[in-house]
Amino acid sequence: MLSPESGLVRGTLDVLILKAVSWGPRHGYAVAEWIRVVTDDQLLVEEGPLYTALHRLERRGLLAAEWGYSDNNRKARYYQLSRAGRSYLRAEVSGWERYVQAVTKALTAVSPNPA
Amino acid sequence: MRPVIRTRFGRRAVPREVEDELAFHLEMRARQLMESGLTHEAAIEEARRRFGDVGEVRDTCVTYDEERLRSMNRLSIFHDIRQDLVYAGRMLRRAPAVSLVVILTLALGIGANTAIFSLVNAVLLKKLDVNAPDELVVVGDPARVGGMGFDSNPRADLNSYTTYRALADQARGWVSGLAATGRVDRLELRADGARGEAERPRGRMVSGNYFEVLGVRPFLGRTFNAAEDDVVGGAPVVVISHGYWQRRFAGDSSIVGREVLINEARYTIVGVTPPSFMGEIVGQSLDVWIPLGMQAVLLPNQPILDDTQAYWLLFIGRRLPGVSLEQARSAFTDAVRGTLAAQATTSALVDQARTVEVRVSSGARGLSRVRNTYRAPLLILMAGVGLLLLIICANVANILMARAVARTREMSVRLAIGAGRGRLIRQLLTESLLLAALGSAAGLVVSGWMSRFLLVLAADGGTVLPLDTGVGVAALGFTSALGLVAVVAFGLMPALRASRVEVATAMRASGKGLTGSGMGERNPLGRLLIASQVALSVILIAGATLLVRSLQHLQHVDTGIARDRLLVVDLDANARGYSETRLTTLASQLQVRLAQVPEVAAVSFTENGIFIGTESATNVAVPGYEPRQQSDSISFYDQVGPGFVNGTGARLIHGRDFTEADREGTARVVLLNESFSTHYFGNESPVGRTIRVGDSAYVEIVGVVADVKDQSLVGPARRRFYVSYLQHPLGSASIVRMIVRTQGDPVRVIPTVRHVITTVDADLPIRSVAPLSRLMRQSISEERLLATLATVFGIAALLLAAIGLYGVMSYAVSRRAGEIGLRVALGAQRGAVIRMVLRDALLLVGIGIVAGIPLTLGASRIIRSQLHGVGPADPVAFVVALGVLALGAVTAALVPAVRASRVAPVVALRAE
Repeated sequence: MLSPESGLVRGTLDVLILKAVSWGPRHGYAVAEWIRVVTDDQLLVEEGPLYTALHRLERRGLLAAEWGYSDNNRKARYYQLSRAGRSYLRAEVSGWERYVQAVTKALTAVSPNPA
Repeated sequence: MRPVIRTRFGRRAVPREVEDELAFHLEMRARQLMESGLTHEAAIEEARRRFGDVGEVRDTCVTYDEERLRSMNRLSIFHDIRQDLVYAGRMLRRAPAVSLVVILTLALGIGANTAIFSLVNAVLLKKLDVNAPDELVVVGDPARVGGMGFDSNPRADLNSYTTYRALADQARGWVSGLAATGRVDRLELRADGARGEAERPRGRMVSGNYFEVLGVRPFLGRTFNAAEDDVVGGAPVVVISHGYWQRRFAGDSSIVGREVLINEARYTIVGVTPPSFMGEIVGQSLDVWIPLGMQAVLLPNQPILDDTQAYWLLFIGRRLPGVSLEQARSAFTDAVRGTLAAQATTSALVDQARTVEVRVSSGARGLSRVRNTYRAPLLILMAGVGLLLLIICANVANILMARAVARTREMSVRLAIGAGRGRLIRQLLTESLLLAALGSAAGLVVSGWMSRFLLVLAADGGTVLPLDTGVGVAALGFTSALGLVAVVAFGLMPALRASRVEVATAMRASGKGLTGSGMGERNPLGRLLIASQVALSVILIAGATLLVRSLQHLQHVDTGIARDRLLVVDLDANARGYSETRLTTLASQLQVRLAQVPEVAAVSFTENGIFIGTESATNVAVPGYEPRQQSDSISFYDQVGPGFVNGTGARLIHGRDFTEADREGTARVVLLNESFSTHYFGNESPVGRTIRVGDSAYVEIVGVVADVKDQSLVGPARRRFYVSYLQHPLGSASIVRMIVRTQGDPVRVIPTVRHVITTVDADLPIRSVAPLSRLMRQSISEERLLATLATVFGIAALLLAAIGLYGVMSYAVSRRAGEIGLRVALGAQRGAVIRMVLRDALLLVGIGIVAGIPLTLGASRIIRSQLHGVGPADPVAFVVALGVLALGAVTAALVPAVRASRVAPVVALRAE
């Protein structure tokens, strides 16, 4: 399990949140649950920092929030991607893919000398 | 997700919202934990544990949210302002003609005000660009800067070098240093050796401590040191100005140490002053400064350092800390009087010295010859353009008001759909602000042209004053302030009025009644503005008429000489070393040779010339006359050649003219002018009697001449006597000016006169040969400038009042179209309709005029000092002003009146 304190995870949290709301508005609890389920509990996301991240992203204009009723008819704050948030997510995802490819290539190398 | 209608707004709601959000999360988590088997309490406990520090998270979220809201608010204000501006721009474009008129008249008003203000600032307000200018104090009359006089009586408007030496140490008690500055003309500088081209820089002779006292640090090299005026003739050094360095020496960085020839002697350039230092004289930029000690080297024919009777220096001191201007004044007064008394040679002169008026004033604004001359005209012009701006504001307010009324319906619709009154006022103010901003910007451009134009106009063909009228911070601030005041003045009233609209009445009012109310009730504010405009116009037009009449008086005043047939020739005989007998011989030779020119009727010569600017005065004593005050025994005088009365075309009342026989060795004679004769002898002829002039010369009166305006057209002629140039009972003359009376147009004789002079002495420098009429014209250039500008302002005021009146009457007629149509339908004659509208317009004008007359009487008292031969309540000026205004008003009202009379009854009825 990865430590939530590692820089890798902290930078990743923002992207995960944006991804979580990329299909439509979700409240904070739903975001936390989605991350938990989709990562098979591999990423232990502490829930407090999740909320500060949500508000920080909202301040940056990547998320927009409004109040709505949840499935069980409770008032909850729903977040959705703004236009800026969507393009930011797209850029981060492709950046992440290149990063992973590069690191994977390095870690799976079989010879000490580059071809 | 179903949306929630938000019920809480703003920053105060933020912490509650964050708490609600976090509570929802904890509750959801606890419910999930309970489903997996935990008890209620344990589930809540576990949910909190997994969440972390709730308080800290809440605070952080609140901070983020508040920051977000703040920047959103900022954005929305910008958004609103932008929206207002876009909307205002659209409104201005929708009525381009009206907007253009408003912007152009504002540009005119603001431009004229800024232009005059930049002149006022440059001449009257701006302080010297030196260290702590307020500590400076000037001894002597700052308006006499550039003057020089020789006088056997002690005086203190200017000072002698001997007084400076005596005073410099003594003054240490109240000033940190005392510097002296004096004029020097006739500088010839050659920068490239003796055969190089000579030029004439503008310079001053200053004491060695001059720069130190002013606190001017050198830009390059050094300034003078205090020892450099101690050694007479021993400090051939010169400091040049930054401007001269750039202009003449192309900013040569190795300038310090370079040698130049000044009046054929060698000088070393030791330093350059900083660019900000224009010298101590307002309206004059200086090129070079030379130590006082070099005076006798510079002008070997006129050494005056040791002459106690040569008055030519002004002193500038820097007050010690704690010494007030008042204290410095009394200290200087005592010191100067004491010094002059010690130099006096007779007990009568000692008495005069002890009571001489010593002028001590603040030196913060430098010395200026033009300041006194232009103070009154500039302030009058400032008042004039101020009035003009008021009129323009009233006009613009009127235009905007009419537009606001036309937009009443739009306003009421906007109010009805929920726009706040504040928002509406802001919208209207934004429109005014936009107009004012455009007007100010255009006005700034206009003012640049105008102040340039004013300077050229003021120079009247002569050299343009090198005043720094650039758009400085002061002028810029002034313009912005005017723009702002204008906005408040003309934007607020219509805005308040328009926003006061009651929705219901406005909607209803658009169906106006056929017989309506009278013209007045619909637009009372507009009518008030027109009346005020008329009142202000009366002031401007009557003021302009007064000034024009005063100018006409000056132009046609009896000068006592042949003003259109005289040439005045100014020679610099001194520079060629002519003095005493040689000078007299030169003058006589020139007189003989010039008289041989066929077009010349007569020739004479004088020391002071006519309208050339130098003056002499001395004591007189008339036997049997008891002077009541000191001025009773002072008279102006001139030394004149033979045939002076004939040569100038003056009128002899008693006795005879001077002749060749009135020369050295014969009985000393004097001519009196009429004022002199009447003052001392009443109506009887004084010919044959003897008076004393100066301290010891007894002269016999041989004739009386009608008063001649020989130095100024303004004011009454002064008491004056003439002694013979060839006899010089008051000492030899040092200057000669030829007076040539021609038979035809004097201008045509100028080349011949110049040629004849070169045949007498080919190298004699001729300063000028000018027709007297031009010299006289130039002497009243301020009066002409004032009258011209006042006329322009008056015409502008008239036009603006006419435009305003036209607008108000047109509006009134259009509002009453129905009523007028009904009247016509009922048989009213067209003439009657026209009369009705005109009567209404003239009533407004009448109210304005009645209010304007007392205002004008008050205002014209202020310009009294500028009025010559015309009283401030001159009836002609008032009749002209009122006539012009009434004519303008009738013309402006006639168009809407005729239009009203053409209203066809059917059209009027259908229009409803």
